[in-house]
Amino acid sequence: MSDLSLSKTVEAAPPRQFDFDRALNTFGAWTLAILWALPLLYAIWTAFHPAAYEANFELFAPLTLENFTKAWSAAPFAQYFLNTTMLVTLILVAQFVLCTLAAYAFARFEFPGSNILFTLVLLQLLVMPDILIVENYKMIRNLGLIDTIVAIGLPYMASGFGIFLLRQTFKTIPRELDEAARVEGAGPLLVLWKVYVPLAIPTYLAYGLVSVSHHWNNFLWPLIITNSVETRPVTVGLSIFAAVDGGVEWSVINAATLMTSGPLLIAFLLFQRQFVQSFMRAGIK
Amino acid sequence: MKSIFKSLGLAASAAALSLGTAISAHAVDLQFYFPVAVGGKAAQTIEELTAEYAAANPDVNIDAVYAGSYQDTVSKALTAARGGNPPQLSVILSVDMFTLIDEDVIIAFDEIANTEEDKKWLNSFYPAFMENSQTGGKTYGIPFQRSTPVLYWNKEAFKAAGLDPEKAPATWEEMVSMGQKLVKKDASGNVAQWGVRIPSSGFPYWLFQGLTTENDVILANSDGNKTNFDDPKVVEALQYLVDLSAKHGVMAPGIIEWGATPKAFFEGNTAMMWTSTGNLTNVRNNAPFDFGVAMLPANKRRGAPTGGGNFYIFKDSSDEQKKASVDFVKWITAPKQAAKWSMATGYVAPSPAAWETDEMKAYAADFPPALVAREQLKHAVAELSTYQNQRVTRVFNDALHAAITGKKTPEEALKGAQAEADRILSEYR
Repeated sequence: MSDLSLSKTVEAAPPRQFDFDRALNTFGAWTLAILWALPLLYAIWTAFHPAAYEANFELFAPLTLENFTKAWSAAPFAQYFLNTTMLVTLILVAQFVLCTLAAYAFARFEFPGSNILFTLVLLQLLVMPDILIVENYKMIRNLGLIDTIVAIGLPYMASGFGIFLLRQTFKTIPRELDEAARVEGAGPLLVLWKVYVPLAIPTYLAYGLVSVSHHWNNFLWPLIITNSVETRPVTVGLSIFAAVDGGVEWSVINAATLMTSGPLLIAFLLFQRQFVQSFMRAGIK
Repeated sequence: MKSIFKSLGLAASAAALSLGTAISAHAVDLQFYFPVAVGGKAAQTIEELTAEYAAANPDVNIDAVYAGSYQDTVSKALTAARGGNPPQLSVILSVDMFTLIDEDVIIAFDEIANTEEDKKWLNSFYPAFMENSQTGGKTYGIPFQRSTPVLYWNKEAFKAAGLDPEKAPATWEEMVSMGQKLVKKDASGNVAQWGVRIPSSGFPYWLFQGLTTENDVILANSDGNKTNFDDPKVVEALQYLVDLSAKHGVMAPGIIEWGATPKAFFEGNTAMMWTSTGNLTNVRNNAPFDFGVAMLPANKRRGAPTGGGNFYIFKDSSDEQKKASVDFVKWITAPKQAAKWSMATGYVAPSPAAWETDEMKAYAADFPPALVAREQLKHAVAELSTYQNQRVTRVFNDALHAAITGKKTPEEALKGAQAEADRILSEYR
C-alpha cells in the first residue's frame, strides 16, 4: 500500500523501474522471513496436534496439549527453568560489571601495558571456547566448584566480546561530557555511572540479548561440568528427547522445544522494538 | 552483585555439607555416567536399578549421572578424566574402547576381577558382545546396553502384495524380488510405498556392516589398527546397497533419515525397515498393523554387527572404589537385572542366563520377536571399531554417503576411504 502512494508522489521518476525494485525488495524480505519462520511454524503445528498429524497437514486436525504434558513430565523442567534463569541472570550481571569496568579502563585511561592487555582481550575472541573445556574443568575443580551453577557461568563472565563492544561505545562518547562532569567534582567512578553507562544503554541491551540467548542455549559445557538435577539447565533436559535409537517423536520434541525457548521468544516479541533499535545503534549485526 | 555470589556460594557449600553428612564415614562413593539413546524410560530404569542396589548395599553410595547422548557421554567422561576427576564407572559405546585405552583412562576388568569365579563371570556373556569388549587378551568392557539391527516387516502390506505374510526375505535376492512386488505407485507415478528402508544418515556404516558381514568380510582387525574398506567383497556389498535404489527401485534414493524411519514404517511409506532392536518396544506400541521381526537377509552367510554401550571402569580411583565398581557391574548385569533392563528398553540381554529367568521366558513367550535378536547373535560380529575411531568411521561414512548419493562409484569411494584410514592408523601398527 505504501509503495502505491509513494509512486504517485514521485511522478517525475520512471514509475515502473521504481516499483520493480521495491517489489523485489519486498518479495525478498517476505521470502526470507517465511523461510526463517517455517521451522518455528512447523514446531507450533506439531506441538499442538496429535502425533498422527506430524507429516499430514489438515486444517481442522484436533488440537491437544498432551504433547506438552508428556514433555513436561519427561524431565524435571520446573527445576531446570529455575536453574537456567539463575544462570543467565548471574552471567549477565557479572558480565555487565566486569566488562563495564574493563572497557572504561581501556577506553579512557592511559596505563603501561594497556595495549598489550587489550590485545590479549581481543585474542580471547579468536579462541574457540570448546578448546578450553579441559583447562576450564581443571580450574573449576581446583576451585572446588564442580556441579554448581557458578561453575557453568564462571568461564564466560570476563567476556572479551563484551569488553571490546563497550570500549568501542565508550570511545564514541564525547570527552566534553566527561570533562564537564569532572569540573562538577565527580570522581572517575561517578563519571562512569552518570555519563558513560546511561549513554551506552542501547549497547547494554543488545549485548544482554546476545548473552542471554547464548547462555540459555548452551549445552555441552553445562552438561560436562554439572551432575545433578539441582544445577542443570533446560538444554540438558531437552537432550533426553534426542534418542535416535528409539525413533524420534517430533510432536513431543517440538512441544519441549517450544517450552524451553518460549520465555526467550515471548521476551523478544514484547521488547522487539527496543531490541531492534538498540541493535541498530550498537552496530551489532 | 557480591551478595549474589555469596548467596550462591553459600547455597552450594550448604548443599555440599548436607550431602557430606548424609554419607556415613566408611561408605564408598561411586559416580556413574550413563547415556540415553532410547527415550526417557531408559533413564528412569537405570535410576531405579541404582536405587535398588544402594538400598541393598548401605556401604556404597552410587550417584547415577545422566550424561546425554553417547557422544556427549564420552566427551564428558574424557574431559572429567583429563581434568583429574573421572567417574568411577561409565557406560560408553563399545566402539570407543580403543579411544579410551589410547587416552589411558580405563583399566581392564581382569586386573580387579581375577579369581576363578570372576573368570567364569567374564565368560558368561555372549561371545558376539565380547568381541568389542576385549583386546590383547584383556577385558575392558562389560556388555550392558547392547543392540543389533534386525529387519521389521509389515505383514498386512505383504498380504496385499500377494506375498506370504509370515515369511520375511531370507536372502539378498529375495529382498529385491519381494521388494519389487511391494513397491506401490500412485496414478501420477510417485511411489506411495517403498519395498525396504535402510537408513543411512549420520552413521551409515552400522547397517552397511550388516551387508558386509553377510558378504563374508570383516571391516577391521581385532587390534583396531587395520581396516579392510577396499576389499572386493565390501565393494560388492556397497554396490548392492546402491542398486537397491538405482537399479531395482525398491528403496527411496538418496540419504535416508534414521529418526524418521520408524514413522515411515508405521505410516506405510515402506513395507520393510532395517533398524536397531532398540526400536522393538517403540514399534510394538505404535505400529497400527501386524508386524514381524526377522534376522537380516543372508548372502554368503547370515550376519549383523552388534552395537551399543559397555561398562568401563576408570583408572584414577581408589582400589576400594574399583572393587565396589566391579561388584556393582556384576550386580546390574546379573540375569535378573539384565532381564528387567532388556524388557524395559528392547536392548538385548547380554548373557544366556538372563534369557533363562522366568520373567524373560514369560516375556519372550508373550512377544516372540524379542528372541530374534538373540538368535542373530550367533551370526553377529563386532561393530567397526579402531583406534582414532571417530576419525576413521567419519572417513568411512563420508565414502558411503558419496556412493549412495551417486557422487562416486562404490569402488572409488572405498579406495579413497581405505587410503585415508591407512594414513590415520599407520602410527598404531
